[in-house]
Amino acid sequence: MSALHVVFKVGEVEYVLPASEVVELESYTGATRVPGAPPYVAGLVQIRGKVIAVVDLRARFGLPPKERTLDSRVIVVRHGTRLVGLLADSARDVVKIDSNEFRSPPEVVSDETEGFVDSIAQPNRRLVMRVDFTKVIGRQELTGSTP
Amino acid sequence: MSDGLDVKAFITGYLAEAGEHLSSANALLMAIDASQKRRESNPKAVRELFRALHTLKGLSAMVGAEGIVDITHELETLLRAADKAGGRLPQNAVDLMLKGVRAVEERVAALGRGAEVAPAPKALIEELSSLNVDEGSVAGTAAIDLAPELAAKLSVAEHAQLAQGLARGQKGRAVEFRPSAERAAAGISITSVRERVGKLGELVKVVPRAAGGAVSFVLIVLTTATDEALCEAAAATKEQLTPIALTETAAAAAAEPVEDAPVQHRDWVRVEVQRLDDALERLSVLVVTRSKLDRAVKKLEAGVGDLRALKAIVAENARQLRDLRGAIMRARMVRVSELLERAPLIVRGLSRASGKPVQLDVQAGDAELDKTVADRLFPVIVHLLRNAVDHALERPEDRKAIGKPEEGRITITCSDHASRELELRISDDGRGIDRQRVARRAGAPVPQTDAELLELICRPGLSTMEVATQTSGRGIGMDVVRKTTLELGGELTVSSTPGSGTTFTVRVPLSVTIVDAFTFVCGGETFVVPVSAVDDLTELDRTQVIEPPEGKKNGGARVQLFRHRGAAIPLYPLGAMLGFGAEPGSEHERPKVIVTRKGAEAMGFQVDRMVGKQEIAVRPVTDPLVMAAGVAGSTDLGDGRPTLVLDLAGLAARHSLRKVMQ
Amino acid sequence: MEEVLVVDDSKVMRDMIVACLRPHGALNFTQAASGLEAIERLSLKPYQLLVLDLNMPDIGGFEVVEFVRGQKALEKLPIIVVTTRGDESSKKRALDSGASRFVTKPFTPEALLSEVRALLSERS
Repeated sequence: MSALHVVFKVGEVEYVLPASEVVELESYTGATRVPGAPPYVAGLVQIRGKVIAVVDLRARFGLPPKERTLDSRVIVVRHGTRLVGLLADSARDVVKIDSNEFRSPPEVVSDETEGFVDSIAQPNRRLVMRVDFTKVIGRQELTGSTP
Repeated sequence: MSDGLDVKAFITGYLAEAGEHLSSANALLMAIDASQKRRESNPKAVRELFRALHTLKGLSAMVGAEGIVDITHELETLLRAADKAGGRLPQNAVDLMLKGVRAVEERVAALGRGAEVAPAPKALIEELSSLNVDEGSVAGTAAIDLAPELAAKLSVAEHAQLAQGLARGQKGRAVEFRPSAERAAAGISITSVRERVGKLGELVKVVPRAAGGAVSFVLIVLTTATDEALCEAAAATKEQLTPIALTETAAAAAAEPVEDAPVQHRDWVRVEVQRLDDALERLSVLVVTRSKLDRAVKKLEAGVGDLRALKAIVAENARQLRDLRGAIMRARMVRVSELLERAPLIVRGLSRASGKPVQLDVQAGDAELDKTVADRLFPVIVHLLRNAVDHALERPEDRKAIGKPEEGRITITCSDHASRELELRISDDGRGIDRQRVARRAGAPVPQTDAELLELICRPGLSTMEVATQTSGRGIGMDVVRKTTLELGGELTVSSTPGSGTTFTVRVPLSVTIVDAFTFVCGGETFVVPVSAVDDLTELDRTQVIEPPEGKKNGGARVQLFRHRGAAIPLYPLGAMLGFGAEPGSEHERPKVIVTRKGAEAMGFQVDRMVGKQEIAVRPVTDPLVMAAGVAGSTDLGDGRPTLVLDLAGLAARHSLRKVMQ
Repeated sequence: MEEVLVVDDSKVMRDMIVACLRPHGALNFTQAASGLEAIERLSLKPYQLLVLDLNMPDIGGFEVVEFVRGQKALEKLPIIVVTTRGDESSKKRALDSGASRFVTKPFTPEALLSEVRALLSERS
């Protein structure tokens, strides 16, 4: 069974999320910082009248901060009744990926991404990583990522 | 027109007083409307409304505003008739009178602008004068046990007001105040006594009395206050206080059944005129923007256009639309107290139908709820009340047998949590939910937790009563109660203790809460804080700052002490506490201090500068990622970005906690 | 100096009345914002003239007039009732209860002033 996936880029890596979970893509003009929120939370943005918390994926994935560009995107994802924004360096296209194309990531990848990648696929010879969304927006810090 | 009297000199005073009379007229009309919905008359409000309009008529005559005199005269005539009929008004009278008041408001506004005052609208005058007040038998002329000399001074409407209050269970008291020159010098006058007694209850009438040359005043009041408090307020002795009661036959008649409150769905909402005006004003700003757009497009067509200017207008337009939306949302808010207004009547009906005496205690507070939320919540409240009376409360004889008061008790409390959501609790002191029985009926294992219990009782079609009772058999079920709550983005919980009672808690977002807030800047960011949370605003006087002896130098977030109103209170450096790392040099040279209070404890917060005060719509911030102590919600100040609403006391608590953990 | 008590719940109206009467001279004005306050003040100190509105909270002007006339010490106090136009029955009731004069709003300063002059000279 193949499904559409939204492709987005953080650093040099391309990630995907099932399009069915993505509500919209919005350009990013900055967020309102929230005191006491975890460091990987960029803050709050207002999209179509809704106030949404945004996770900075660069910070979440341990990459150095980078100036926001016109390409920066907030990917608004639905999780149950909750809407959460993911801030990516860019988000351009949508690809169709068959569910059995996804494989467990090699150990080196899961280590480097601290468990945020749950599987990888190679549609049209392009390597994309599927994000474990629940982990990304989870508040608890992951421990034991070092072997 | 009054030649020689310089009307201009009085016009400001006139406008101020007229404004007061008009706003109290609006409030009184609302109160009358609410009473009519309960099928009661409101003699007191009718009388006060009459007075307000009559005064306004006299004043308007003095400034020569004939249009206003004519309208107020017509309203006054109607109200005089109503007053004679014990406060009864025809059904459509309130709507017509609201129109009348609106027409007066327009004319007062015209006067304020120095414009011509339009004559009274003919159609309205005709409609008003065609209303007939039914002067038949006056309700509430129940016999009251009152000294004849006092009784003679009460008008029919006042008599009705007193009888109604007594029938509702309020205490009636007559308390005497004796004025003297010494008392007057000490500030104890009939004016101050009247005010103090009025605060303790509903003042029906003050009757002056002269006995042997000595003047005194008898204040007749409906109250729940103690006699001691009344005597103190009236500077009276115990001997100067007399109870007032209904005669026995009248008391029996007052207990006569009234029909069940109709559960009506109202497709309209009463809006404070100011909120509508605000929306209108935002609309007019949009019209201006539209013409700017037209001009910009024409320029583009002519080849002299400036794309940047056009973009700026479009951005402005987007912001204004958002503002308009906000203004309309504000107009949609209804008071929770208004929503709960009908609860006593509903419980009364249920109590009569079931033969169980019930005492209802409603604490509605002053939260506001969006009309949509309010409308959907109402059937939920009705159902939970039905449940409580029909299922939860034991029969009076059973209650007596187990040592409970015969009268069952239901409490509705309402609070808005840090401006995020409304929490409505409906509690009873009944038998508690029988878990075994619920399990048996559902064919499920006995629920171990309250959550499991809720799961079972919310199964569609499940009722623990073997026979559907007269009232609970209709209406919606618990399954719908929960579904409605969830649809509103809320939560339903239950806690039930066998033998001692059940509490249902409904939590729903307010959607938008409107509060007055101060806007301020700290660490380069803008924040707001509700005015209600602010005790004082002051400039930071460095000479008043005291270094605490044990002051540790651990970075910027050091709490100092400063003198405020004779006490040393903690001074929190807000910028450093927020941890945003304020840009260097952004610290203001003359910082301000916001003083807030947690319980009795005052605390100050140093901020860079105050920006202003405005009404804001607080949105809940509920995502676990950003839920943090100190953040009460977010708001849009009109720039399309969320601005944080801070809970300063919460921030301070978190700050101290962190220090303890270090 | 004659002591004048001006009773009206509207501050603007009280100010207007005082402005109208000022040209009379030799008058000292005290203001009361309610019928109750008026009765209290009358019981504490002698006045030579009472200017009274009819429509007030708690107790109206009629009741004040009736009360004043019911007291020996105040039997002869001149009372001018000032009230809104077009209410003949009020006028009759006020005069029947013992008011000395009746002035209808809107009034001119001259109208009010001449009533006061007449009343004060009648008395002396």
